[in-house]
Amino acid sequence: MKDSLKSSSYDALVIGAGIAGGEAALNLANTGYKVLLVDKELSVGGKMIMLSKVFPTLDCAACITTPKVSEISRHPNITIFTGSEVSNIRKISDNEFVAKVTRKPRYVHVEDCTACQLCEKACPTSVRDQYQFGLIGRKAAFIPFSICSPKAAAIDIDNCTLCGACERVCPTHCIDFTMETETNELHVKTIVVATGFNLFDPNNIPRYGYGKYKNVITAMQMEREIAPTRPFHTILRPGDGKVPDKIAYVLCVGSRDATVGNPICSQICCMYSIKQAQLLMGALPMADVTIYYINIRSFGKGFEEFYQQAKGMGVNFVKGKIGRISEKENGNLILRYEDINKGKLQEAEHDMVILSTGVLPTKGIDGLFENETLTLDQFSFVGQSDMLASPAKTSIGGVFVAGAATGPMDIPDSILSAGAASSEAISYIIQHA
Amino acid sequence: MAKINPSFGKELNKYGAINSNACYNCGNCTAVCSLSTEEVSFPREMVRLSTLGLEDDIQSSLKPWECYYCGECSTHCPQEANPSELMMSLRRYLTAKYDWTGLSGLMYKSLPLSIAAFVLTLVGVLIFAFSVDFVLEKMVHIGHLFEMIAIGTVGLVILLPNVARMWWFTILKPGTKVSFKKYLSSMGDLFVHMFTQKRALGCDDNQLRWFEHFLMVIGYLSLLFTTVFLNWFSSEYLIVTIFGYVVSAIVFVVTFDFVLSRIKKKKEISKHSQPSDWFFVIWLFLMGLSAFMVRLFIDLDLLETNKWLYLVHLTVLVQWALIIVPFGKWTHFLYRSFAMYFAKLKA
Repeated sequence: MKDSLKSSSYDALVIGAGIAGGEAALNLANTGYKVLLVDKELSVGGKMIMLSKVFPTLDCAACITTPKVSEISRHPNITIFTGSEVSNIRKISDNEFVAKVTRKPRYVHVEDCTACQLCEKACPTSVRDQYQFGLIGRKAAFIPFSICSPKAAAIDIDNCTLCGACERVCPTHCIDFTMETETNELHVKTIVVATGFNLFDPNNIPRYGYGKYKNVITAMQMEREIAPTRPFHTILRPGDGKVPDKIAYVLCVGSRDATVGNPICSQICCMYSIKQAQLLMGALPMADVTIYYINIRSFGKGFEEFYQQAKGMGVNFVKGKIGRISEKENGNLILRYEDINKGKLQEAEHDMVILSTGVLPTKGIDGLFENETLTLDQFSFVGQSDMLASPAKTSIGGVFVAGAATGPMDIPDSILSAGAASSEAISYIIQHA
Repeated sequence: MAKINPSFGKELNKYGAINSNACYNCGNCTAVCSLSTEEVSFPREMVRLSTLGLEDDIQSSLKPWECYYCGECSTHCPQEANPSELMMSLRRYLTAKYDWTGLSGLMYKSLPLSIAAFVLTLVGVLIFAFSVDFVLEKMVHIGHLFEMIAIGTVGLVILLPNVARMWWFTILKPGTKVSFKKYLSSMGDLFVHMFTQKRALGCDDNQLRWFEHFLMVIGYLSLLFTTVFLNWFSSEYLIVTIFGYVVSAIVFVVTFDFVLSRIKKKKEISKHSQPSDWFFVIWLFLMGLSAFMVRLFIDLDLLETNKWLYLVHLTVLVQWALIIVPFGKWTHFLYRSFAMYFAKLKA
């Protein structure tokens, strides 16, 4: 990794190291091209590496992601910059882009760190763990999560008290507070934008009480609770640690909702909720799971069967959008909705509520480009200049787009899209050699 | 067999419905509505009936009247289908259906026709004034007489048959069996709702809205009573004179605020105004103000030299009594309270 810093010329720049960016980088690298893979997070793997299992096969997400991640990490043609951001991209000619990459200091020399966690034990500062979506805490000196890559500690300098405790216990002396922000100028021939998506912040819908009622959590938090590397080693509600037995899913939180500025379907929430419901029925056999939906959209291969399977397992499906949630004194929640099939207003009590939050675009991608305009679509996802015939093409020749950067998309589609983007990129390099 | 009217949506748009076809039936509106209950769930059902054009079901429903327009459903509608304005337009539509003359519907749907009616009444007042040579005493006397005759005639010829039609559409036609005893025992609800509009207190929004409206209703009814039965303009009693000043001031001050909020459009309830809404609040304001001014000019001995003021007041009064009361928004005063009465009968 050390020598990678010296080199500033690559064949391809891939922005975002989630499943789409990783796949695109691997395809390019396996074809013999030198790739720089940049991600703003401390680990590659994006959102998929955080997941429990994937629909509709119920394969373990980590078991699919980690081999891919380690292949990316060890590939001789791939250089990874984590904790880094790309900016000021200029197109000089058809086969040359210049960009700025800013690497924020990790304060740990990754190549020397053995991930022994002694620094974590020594660190006196606790903060909420963003990689567990706030369910538990972490230290200011921390290893992002158990299957992260690179598996190395990092110092959260915003919360660090600079007490030096971690430095003193580190057996390899890899902690270095003198590290500074590095800026590299890059020269590449092609760019793949794989910046993925953001999840809707349910604080923007106050009537659901997220952040106020402790037993209202997001689906991503539940995802962590049922993942193999889960924080509690069981499923419980955060309010009082009780194992829930009447669980509700609220679908379309922040999607198909013009009032929050996102009128489109997120395409994954129905399926991930059905998946979680099935996993919950396995983990908590006595629990009732109810999914409140507007429409169930099980449109992909094997999806409808997966939905029917959930019904067969006893997951309760109720047609009706939840209007309001209120909390009882014992932490249980009252959900108010209209049962559309009965045409009647109903109230139901649940002891835990999961908000299936929608997919939002990653903002500001167009701002990375200086002398060319990256066109966005009407929902601020990266626009596809030839959506039907060449879905990976953007408004800038030589810049391709992969995965959920183009719009809400599930994992198989993201991987397909990454394949298309990398093929287009390879073909572009050859044509403009 | 249910009869479907495919063009009902277009018809309803003429009554002020906006984008109601965008509804995807999530039921969020019903769930956020604080007046909706398990037994009486709305507004989604009404949106659905409107989209399908099931006119018979709409005409037999009391639900449009059970909504008091807090606007929460529109604020939170994920499709921006504007359910609260749909409920409002259904009230206008039902008002038109209940009206045996059919004039309500014509005026709700056509602004030129409404304006023509207003102009016609103005011409009528002027002809009347000419015919009595603008003699103030005569004008005031006949104006007072007109008030009494208008109340009686409009009540007997228009309003009473229309309430009977509402009864027919909502109770008799759907075949609801109600015992005579129940008609009597539920009667209390009719008057309680008529004079307090207490159901509006159930709305989640600012209860100041209810208070303002309540004050206005009391002010209006008192003004009516003072001018018609106590003959305010000719009264010699100080107490009657002062009372008249107070209630007419209440009417124009409160309605001024109503007009202002319809101009500002900050609250959901005042965002969408149809001509009928404007006529209602503005004429109520003008009536309160002109009555106040007429009495003031009488007390200051200025009316004889300013006959125009009385003519303005008379014109406003005639337009109010002959257009807005029988065929305009005024009728919601009756239909809302009778709806609560009928709902009690149905329960």
